[in-house]
Amino acid sequence: MTAITRTWQRLTIPGRVLLALLVVGALLTAGLALLIVFSDELLAIVEANLPIVRFVVAATAILLMTIPTAFVIIYMEMKGIALMNLRIGPDRVGPFGSLLSVVHGLKVLMKEDFTPTGADATVFTWAPVVVYLASVMSLLVIPFAPGLFGQDMNIALLYFFAVGGLTVVGLLMAGWSSFNKYSLLGGLRSAAQVISYEIPLTLSVVGLLILAGTMSLNQLVLNQSGWFTNWYVFQQPLGALIFFIAATAEANRTPFDLTEADSEIVAGFATEYSGMRFGFFFFAEYVNVFIIAALTVTLFFGGWNSPFPMPDIHLALDPGSLGIGLLIVIALVPLLGTLLFAAPFWLLRSSMPTWQALVLGFVVFNIVAVTAVLGWAFISFDWVAGLIWFMAKTYGFVFVFVWMRGTLPRVRIDQLMGFAWKWMLPASLLNLFVTAAAVIVVDALRGGR
Amino acid sequence: MSFIPGLGIVKGMALTLRRFFEPKATIKYPEEQPDQPPKFRGRLQLLYDEWGTLKCETCFQCAQACPIECIDMGGVDTKGRFHVHWGPPETYGERRDESALRRSGRTVPDRAYDHFEPIDLVAVDAILDEHDHDPKRMLQILEGVQGAYGYLPVAAIKRISFKTGAWYALIFGTASYYSHLRFERPADAVQVAAVDQHRPSEEAYVARLDAALEGSRRRRRKVH
Repeated sequence: MTAITRTWQRLTIPGRVLLALLVVGALLTAGLALLIVFSDELLAIVEANLPIVRFVVAATAILLMTIPTAFVIIYMEMKGIALMNLRIGPDRVGPFGSLLSVVHGLKVLMKEDFTPTGADATVFTWAPVVVYLASVMSLLVIPFAPGLFGQDMNIALLYFFAVGGLTVVGLLMAGWSSFNKYSLLGGLRSAAQVISYEIPLTLSVVGLLILAGTMSLNQLVLNQSGWFTNWYVFQQPLGALIFFIAATAEANRTPFDLTEADSEIVAGFATEYSGMRFGFFFFAEYVNVFIIAALTVTLFFGGWNSPFPMPDIHLALDPGSLGIGLLIVIALVPLLGTLLFAAPFWLLRSSMPTWQALVLGFVVFNIVAVTAVLGWAFISFDWVAGLIWFMAKTYGFVFVFVWMRGTLPRVRIDQLMGFAWKWMLPASLLNLFVTAAAVIVVDALRGGR
Repeated sequence: MSFIPGLGIVKGMALTLRRFFEPKATIKYPEEQPDQPPKFRGRLQLLYDEWGTLKCETCFQCAQACPIECIDMGGVDTKGRFHVHWGPPETYGERRDESALRRSGRTVPDRAYDHFEPIDLVAVDAILDEHDHDPKRMLQILEGVQGAYGYLPVAAIKRISFKTGAWYALIFGTASYYSHLRFERPADAVQVAAVDQHRPSEEAYVARLDAALEGSRRRRRKVH
């Protein structure tokens, strides 16, 4: 052992990196060889457990997806609220300051992860995990595009509300285990809020379920295909409104962000949290924003459907048919494109150095190329078009949340609870009864004819 | 006024959306400088020159221009002769000391009034009459007084202040601004000669300066 340590210490830093890479490469090669040798057996195992494999892959993909999503939403929030306040907002890190949220993430990672004396360390550690996991798992059932979803369940909506309700458990865990009466109060407060709004949230969707006759989110989206008049928001306007307000409260967003009113109280249930454990709460909040926006779009705004029937265009363009030519195109087109787009800058601007013209040409070529490829994919693949429509609508709603945060003042706790029980609950019940009655009447009329 | 529930929310949201597209108020300071008014002087501060003398000439322009009268000035002029004030007298220490002495029954020794010699004020009154006691023609009055006496005596300035109603500090500020107006008798020729004896001649000085600044074309062109 000492010999190995001594040898390691004698190596220069590049040598150490190289050695580590060599070891990793050897392990990967060995793994690949094993994979090839035992490919039949492995494939058999995968095929036998396909649902489990699918679930693991989907959960991992969703988990990985949440991180950039949260970053984007944090950036949108910082920039959007700044612009509404007549400020510029983040503009130092990255293009237009877009990497500032990444810096925030790194900062949170580097901070001390502190557990207060007397805290229940196990529960204290698991609370952010529960909160984050509840968010990520509820994202599993949302259909992003035709054929692009984590799990297709016939009770997807029920699953969504059930798993989403787990958040309360996490918040209570955090509040209770912190060994701080203010944290406990904050946790109870947020639990009271979330549970109160869960009732109108669920009831507002029941009317929709009566209309659709299914709980599968996929089926709900398919029901809304065609023109945008088929969207459920036009059949259930009150339901959509109640759902939107209740979801805002559920995700602890302004004007209902009493759980951690960052300008008034310390931090509610998250008072004693620091470092990445706090970061998980923070992330979960923004993932929740994405989730409620996505669910609003899925339930009431047509999901991945385009608002109007898209003209059927087929491009007879198969990249595989070019053969070896494809390789040449891939090698040459960026170069030629860069030169082509650099030429006008270089010719028209004598004051511009050649390298600047080349950089500009490269950037312009990239924009054009990405647009062209995306356009081709949009036309050729259903799921790309669906994903783009879905993301556009979802981020539209995310912007609405940001917009609301930049506009509305926070409500008082008694106003919050009063609004939930005195207005939202009766309104959702009214919506439910009216929808049910309308369905019966329409059925009777149709049956009568 | 309106009884439509939620209309306020809609109005507020519309407002923020308009703000979203409006030009921003931020000035990215080190890269962009804000527009300054042409007479902006930064922080008000009394500066010393390289010999350790106050650069302030007690011209009172700052105190006059101050729109909210937060600047008040008091003290002795650059040669330590006159008290000059701008602002309410109770703010000045020397005035307070003076009144305390006066209340104690003693005479007030004040070196600032050592040079306050009584003069014959007939000429001053004549000049003031000629200019109609108009404080707007202060420069002409002061020039006339200097023509009559050869300099501006304190008693003459006090008289001008009393007659025209212009503040003493204002007149002093005006007089100290113009380099051709002086507060003491002009040095006579004998004194000038005595000083010149101790001073190297202008030509020798310029020659030495030229030698020291050899190679500086601008300087040479200016001299020759």
